[in-house]
Amino acid sequence: MPDQEKERSQEREKGTIPSPADHPEIVPGRLPVVSEDEASKNFFGEPLVGFDPHEITGTLIVIEGMDGSGRSTQISLLQEWLESEGFAVQTSGLRRSTLVGRDIDELLAKNAVTRLTLALMYCTDFFDQLEHRIVPALKSGTIVLADRYIFTLIARSVVRGINRDYLNGLYAMALRPHLTFWLNVRPDTAFGREFRKAQAISYWEAGRDMSLSHDLYWSFIRYQTMIKREFEAFAKRHDFLELDGEAPVSTVNKLLRQRIAEQLGIRATKYTPSSALAHLWR
Amino acid sequence: MENQESIVKQPRPEPLKSTLPQPGRPVPNRAYPGALIVVEGTDGSGKSTQLYLLKRWLEIGGYRLHFTEWNSSPLVKSATRRGKQRRLLTPPTFSLLHAADFADRCERQIMPLLQGDYLVLADRYIYTAFARDGARGCPEKWLRNLYRFAPVPDITFYFRAPLDVAVHRILSGRPKLKYYEAGMDLGLSYDRPESFRLFQARIMDGYDKMVESDNFVVLDGTLPVNKLQKQMREIVASKIDLKRFAPRATEAE
Repeated sequence: MPDQEKERSQEREKGTIPSPADHPEIVPGRLPVVSEDEASKNFFGEPLVGFDPHEITGTLIVIEGMDGSGRSTQISLLQEWLESEGFAVQTSGLRRSTLVGRDIDELLAKNAVTRLTLALMYCTDFFDQLEHRIVPALKSGTIVLADRYIFTLIARSVVRGINRDYLNGLYAMALRPHLTFWLNVRPDTAFGREFRKAQAISYWEAGRDMSLSHDLYWSFIRYQTMIKREFEAFAKRHDFLELDGEAPVSTVNKLLRQRIAEQLGIRATKYTPSSALAHLWR
Repeated sequence: MENQESIVKQPRPEPLKSTLPQPGRPVPNRAYPGALIVVEGTDGSGKSTQLYLLKRWLEIGGYRLHFTEWNSSPLVKSATRRGKQRRLLTPPTFSLLHAADFADRCERQIMPLLQGDYLVLADRYIYTAFARDGARGCPEKWLRNLYRFAPVPDITFYFRAPLDVAVHRILSGRPKLKYYEAGMDLGLSYDRPESFRLFQARIMDGYDKMVESDNFVVLDGTLPVNKLQKQMREIVASKIDLKRFAPRATEAE
């Protein structure tokens, strides 16, 4: 290939070939052709650059829900269950990318960032994980458990006044999950759970940047209610599987296992958490 | 539950407060009193030299101006450096990181200054992203959407120099081309200078396609520096009411 290219570049110098753009065939075939039908089936809009959806053999399972809805508890339990069933599991979540995960943490801590910049940093974080963590795992037949996905990211920006179409366009290259669960809880339940975790409510969880209320409780409730409304709209549009996040952990977990087992084509098996995770089983 | 009912009726206070053009809504031509002048072109086309000279001319004249450079926000610098050093960047993340950088400069510098009646000079603008990230394979529709929040420039100068001239200027001045600069991530060639040339050719093609659609003022990058600068100053003076940006001169009278 390099020889061929050299030859062509010499020709180009002589003026026989004007530019490589006119001759796409000299470019090694990195961009697979994805039909529009396939693109909308596998992606939210546009196919991801240089990615062929046929290579996917794994399963992408998304768990969405507000802070304090029990997502991470359920993901820890599901991971143990799936691994005990012999499946390879990869997890992903917000701000976990090698590229910008730490940078976002710093921006949030300093609170020196405007909403659009923050939205784009989160988007970078998402695509870095999609390309370096999620897609490679899916290509190798792994089950990916995603702790939140584009829905949280879009909802947070929409309630801050960023145009919805703009955000849908940003995430057009995101892969459509095989299953999306929504752990729905009331904001005041979530408030209690979040408060117990750290004996405090964080600035961003309470949406304090939006000046909704000086009262931390009301700021949290209003903010999370706005987010929840966005989720209600998503749930209809994107076939969310809604679960009652107020139910006991074991009940929610059982429902998750049943639906996932169906997706994977295995018999729903009994599961009791190991001693390491027993404390989560309420 | 009762509390929630009352919350639902609260109006959303946020959108009205923003000074930034809303992504998705076209930016009205004169939504702000300032003016925005942009230079674009491939590496080695002479655009930075010319913008520097234009800036000196305006500075010496005492005009109110601000100069901003592509990829210069301190906010995303560490991420960009990490991404480049460890070669983590893919076409979408390369593009998004630059968009985050631009959004930061746009929200904190460019828009406030345009609102505050300043002349803003930008060395590279969103068209760099369209040409460069397009060459990397990002869909045009996606890119155009990504930068929908950017104000439309009053003048966009496009410095055009033949590929050989531009490539020669860069190669003779730089001992070693960097990985992403040479477009090595595209896998066009194992030879860095050759990869750079192929990459630049694609970028130039992308720029050429925007000349009409985005109202570029095309300038010949091979002209002598002072002649080119003279042309540039004439165009700026004819298209922009410069007196507005020179308060000191009017006060003196």
